[in-house]
Amino acid sequence: MRDNRAICGRMTRRGLLMNTGMAALGAALLPRAGRAAVEAPAAPVALARCRSYDAELMPALTKMFDQIGGLGRLASGKTVAVKVNLTGDPDSRIGFVPIGCTAWTHPAVIAGTVHLLGRAGARRIRILESPWRSAEPVQEYISAAGWDPILFTGAASNVEFENTNFLGSGKRYVRFPVPRGGHLFPAFDLNHSYADCDVFVSIGKMKEHLTTGITLSMKNCFGITPCTIYGDGAPDDEAGLVPRGGRFPIHTGSRQPAKCSPSEIDPKSPREGGYRVPRCVSDLVAARPIHLAIIDGVESMTGAEGIGPMTKHVAPHVLVAGTNTVCVDAVGMAVMGFDPMADRGKAPFEFSDSTLRLAEELGVGTRDLKRIEVIGDRIADLVFDYRKNGFPMRREIPDHDHPAAPPKA
Amino acid sequence: MNCAPRRLVPGRSAFNGNIMSSQTLDRASSFDHLVPFRWPSAWSDPALLRWFAASPINCLLFESLNAARPVVGAARAAGLTALEWSSLKAAPLEQVEWDSAASQTAITGLVWPRIKISKGESDVDAGPTGAPWIDSNSWVARLAAVRAPSRPVWLGFELAKDDPTPDLATYNIAIADSAASGARWMMALDEGLRKGLPVGNADAVKTWRGILATLAFFEKRRQWAAWERWGSIGILSSFAGKDEFMGQELLNLAARRNLLYRVLDRAHPASQKFEGLPAVLYVDSELPSAELKAKLGAFARSGGMLIVPHALAAQFPGEASVATQVAGYEVKSLGRGSVAAATRDWDDPFFLAADVHNLVKRRNDPVALFNARSLWEHYSVAPEGRGALLQFVAFTSRPTESVSVAPAKAWRSAAMHTIGPDAPAILEPAKVEGRVEFHLPPFSWYTAVEFRS
Repeated sequence: MRDNRAICGRMTRRGLLMNTGMAALGAALLPRAGRAAVEAPAAPVALARCRSYDAELMPALTKMFDQIGGLGRLASGKTVAVKVNLTGDPDSRIGFVPIGCTAWTHPAVIAGTVHLLGRAGARRIRILESPWRSAEPVQEYISAAGWDPILFTGAASNVEFENTNFLGSGKRYVRFPVPRGGHLFPAFDLNHSYADCDVFVSIGKMKEHLTTGITLSMKNCFGITPCTIYGDGAPDDEAGLVPRGGRFPIHTGSRQPAKCSPSEIDPKSPREGGYRVPRCVSDLVAARPIHLAIIDGVESMTGAEGIGPMTKHVAPHVLVAGTNTVCVDAVGMAVMGFDPMADRGKAPFEFSDSTLRLAEELGVGTRDLKRIEVIGDRIADLVFDYRKNGFPMRREIPDHDHPAAPPKA
Repeated sequence: MNCAPRRLVPGRSAFNGNIMSSQTLDRASSFDHLVPFRWPSAWSDPALLRWFAASPINCLLFESLNAARPVVGAARAAGLTALEWSSLKAAPLEQVEWDSAASQTAITGLVWPRIKISKGESDVDAGPTGAPWIDSNSWVARLAAVRAPSRPVWLGFELAKDDPTPDLATYNIAIADSAASGARWMMALDEGLRKGLPVGNADAVKTWRGILATLAFFEKRRQWAAWERWGSIGILSSFAGKDEFMGQELLNLAARRNLLYRVLDRAHPASQKFEGLPAVLYVDSELPSAELKAKLGAFARSGGMLIVPHALAAQFPGEASVATQVAGYEVKSLGRGSVAAATRDWDDPFFLAADVHNLVKRRNDPVALFNARSLWEHYSVAPEGRGALLQFVAFTSRPTESVSVAPAKAWRSAAMHTIGPDAPAILEPAKVEGRVEFHLPPFSWYTAVEFRS
């Protein structure tokens, strides 16, 4: 078993690309049936109670990052890409509760992490998101939520934003092969920001998800796929200039990506979101490794990933962080009252496969709590049962995951 | 101007008992206060005028004055204005004669304001925003007010035969969409009310009373229509010919994303008021006149942002490149301002509206809204800037809840007007993430927040 921290500490852009290339080569040589036999790596996970986004947040983040090895060895002198979770319309709220306290990563968590990365010597920090079928600048997108971009640009030196839903400021898309061949896609073409970085950070939100059961640090990366290639309105052959639709084709398999990019491995595989999205997500986090995974569960929502009629604002008062995204999500799931070893048919995966299990199969990390060292607070002391704290709801396959009935554009 | 509901008093008439035609009225003064109603041709009994007692409706529109002579006479005796439909010169937008001597601008063939329902389906259509598609005439009213500023704007629309039976909400939304845009609806009743009212059907009477209360609400606040429309962008186009679709749809879809704008009509130089605007969008691919081009250049040099189509990029070369993250635009400095030229032809007004909002930046919005996606926003400023008015039309019969309003300016007070109570509710400010917000109580169909300094 290897410690991801050691890998991340030495990771450079060139090394990363070489690693992913080697992984892809290895995958080609590895029989598909033999994937699960390879033991997935484990890494410690820091867990902390944090009752608010105010004064106690920064000390909590600082302590947690120290507990997992410190940000200095991860970020010093490096370009850091930070994928945040900004799901849904920025001006939507549950009641009068700001979106950072429900569906989105809270701005204080983003700014706090950016600040600590800067203090740890990060040379450049790029905040990334692919707002829903939009080429809107991230700064403008967050302004619609009432956030002032200076909150982030003022948190450290050389902080930039990029909307990765299209080519953005890059000249071409960068191909990321999926190690071990992938479950759904053999490779992805992504915005340059996911290659032009030495360290990749995913800051997810502790939420349930209608399609994948949960959305934590891994599912956050579903949004790194550019809609100009993978979206509804993408041209057939080449990538579009700007997005013209959402990522429903990945949910339903209603179409393949633009032909300039790799098609899915098996076009005859199930056209069902609960099958496809977890596989896509696990492929993505294998192809674009996450070096630091953070889950914001100080305040959040139950019932879905985006604000809707059956969602409810809750305050689990918890932060999770670690260098292995599967391990972090496993601890996050446990805090939410779910069994990270659960799979299809068992909560929260009533209608989907487990993204954790699929990522584990790709060698990304283990979901087995017995193999994960939890540092800081104990899971048992911080469990916040999402099902007990949510609205009673009829759980069913969401409309947008029915291949026969994709949502209207 | 007294717009309070008037009680019908037989024998007294505002117009000396004459059957009025538009030619005989003093246009400027007499049409501005008229609240029009399309008299159903099947209503032949003058006794039906009882439904207009204490009503804000003071102008009846007849298909033929001669054919309805008994009713017209009684109406006249009661002080109501009676007009023949043909005298209005009502026409679809593209056929309106803007420079005619008409006393009002009557536009027909418009949509019934509502959330669009797919034919034969129970679910609503989704627009490009993912939010429900909304039909509204507000952009038509705004354009008409610019093209003929001295004339009141009357909007004509009716329900189609296969539309669902309307209720009070349906009518209230129709009235509110027109009134919030500064126009009036030439009210046309559906078949249920046309048949129900004459026989005193209880449901019809209840709906009618509600309609009159809504009309009275807006007529009491008619002074708001004179407040200046404010926006962060001036949309400059001919809105006609080959630029008709892009120009007009842009007005419609800018409103859909609550991008506040000022209409600037190329054909009406008096409307080309750039003062106070952070940005002007020149929509048309046709070259502006030399005079207008100079004016646009001066606007940018004095600190504004001029946004031009790809075809005109060479006409406004600008100076040094300015970094932008808005895809599809090249921004260059020009004096103290800038020019943003599209790097490809515009093909979709919705995405153009989004681009423009991103170029102008939301920080120039006078107010930030939350949970307001299904609402249509109208913003205007009181004379001398002493106050501002934020109107919302809600296109659903369900009460609208949890709407937050965060004004950019620090106003001294905020009061919320809703249809029903006479007195507005005073809103208490709330501090959210460091900014002042006002959290609106639930409301139906329409509300207005009046800010005062």
